[in-house]
Order: sequence, then C-alpha cells, then structure tokens
Amino acid sequence: MDAVTETTVYERTISIDATPETVWEFFVDPSKVMRWMGIGGAELDAQPGGIYHLDVISGNTALGEFVEVDKPHRLVFTWGWDGNDALPPGSSTVEAELTPQGNGTSLRFVHRDLSPEQAKSHAQGWDHYLARLEIAAAGGDPGEDPWKTNPPSM
Amino acid sequence: MEAALKAIAEPRRRAILSLVRDGELSAGEIASHFEVTRPAVSQHLNVLKEAGLVSERRNGTRRLYRARPEGLIELRDFLEGFWDARLEALKREAEKEERKQHGRSH
Repeated sequence: MDAVTETTVYERTISIDATPETVWEFFVDPSKVMRWMGIGGAELDAQPGGIYHLDVISGNTALGEFVEVDKPHRLVFTWGWDGNDALPPGSSTVEAELTPQGNGTSLRFVHRDLSPEQAKSHAQGWDHYLARLEIAAAGGDPGEDPWKTNPPSM
Repeated sequence: MEAALKAIAEPRRRAILSLVRDGELSAGEIASHFEVTRPAVSQHLNVLKEAGLVSERRNGTRRLYRARPEGLIELRDFLEGFWDARLEALKREAEKEERKQHGRSH
C-alpha cells in the first residue's frame, strides 16, 4: 500500500443510471444535496475555496471547503464537524470522481482521513485505526442515519 | 452502537483506548498518564466498558482494563454503513431526477 491508500477511510465505486451532469448537481445544489445526505438544511458555495454548511439533525453542522471543482468530472472538499474535537473541519477530505459510463455515470467516492504527515506521526495500526473511526463517531453521533428514521421534511 | 460512537467522540477516551490496546492496565496506571483525577478516569473507563470497547478483569483487589478489538470492528462496519446508506440514496435520487428530466420511465 502506498501512503495515499493508507489514509483512505472509505472507498466505493458505484454505477448510477443518470448522466454525470445530473449526478453533479447532487453535490452542489443545496436542495439536491439534502435529498441524499439526510439533513435538514444545506448551504454550498461550490467553487474552489467556497464554504459549505450541512445542518444535520440534532444541530450538528458539517462544515468544509471546496478544494477542487471540475464540473462534472471531479469534486474535492474537506469534511469535518463544527465544534467537534474528534473530527474538526479540515481534518478529512472527500473526493468524488464522475466518469461517463454508457448513458450513466461511474461514481468513485473516497473519504480520506488525516493528511499523510499526520498519519505518519501516529503509531502504526491501532492508533491509525482509531483515527479512522473518528469519522464514524462524528458522522454517526448522535444521529446515526437520520435519513432512515427521520427523512428530511423539505 | 451509538454508545460506542459517543465513547470514542471524546479525545481522552480515545487516548485511554490507545493505552490499553496491547495489554492490561489498572485504572491507577491509566490515570498516571493524564492530568485528570482518578474518578474522572474511572468514569471514562465505565463509558468505554459499557460501549463494549474495553473489558475489565479483577485480579485480587485490582481491576485491569484492556481494549476489545471486536468493539472496534463493529464501529468500522458502522462507518462503512454510514456512507453506503448515503450513496444508495444518492443513486436513487439521481436516477429519479434523470427520469424526470428525460421523461423516461423504468
């Protein structure tokens, strides 16, 4: 494994029966982001350096910055939780790569945790594992999957 | 699961988990690593224990604590489930939108 792979927390490639242009809007249009993220509100400024807020149920706010915005191919944004020591804003990164596939899209979705420098300073294995779990803690606490039990009303 | 997530959301408890990952330690030994009171450490240990992240063993008058790897594996599975559920919803919603825009029905 190289250094980049070692910091990957979550990686999936899925096929979506919708064009990259359609899928792209679900990352940058607030009303569409809300439809899949299971949240009560969203504000996004989808340009490099632009900030986004996602108001997750129970008053938790995911806060981050768009790093790369290459419509409709590639989107990179930082991920973290406002006021959460476990996973503060800027402490992890999400990458979405959209590739045309027939009439649809192949979406590669990667969530990485700490920067390689930070990861190196950690002890091997277990400490790194714990750092990865912080994302679960921040993302799932206390809402678990609000989409499932409490779909957004908007 | 929620208890485990709450347990590791606290930085001190993650530090305690790291300390007891390779071997058993008593509450006193754990407390000596931190500038917090012994009762505070005991409270953190209780939270970790109830969340299934550490196990406790009595040895004479001492109680020894050690991390439970199984608890962490459950958390890892939860993390995967967190994004899996969202990506499933993304796929569903994007496909719905596509059908709407192009008047197709599947």
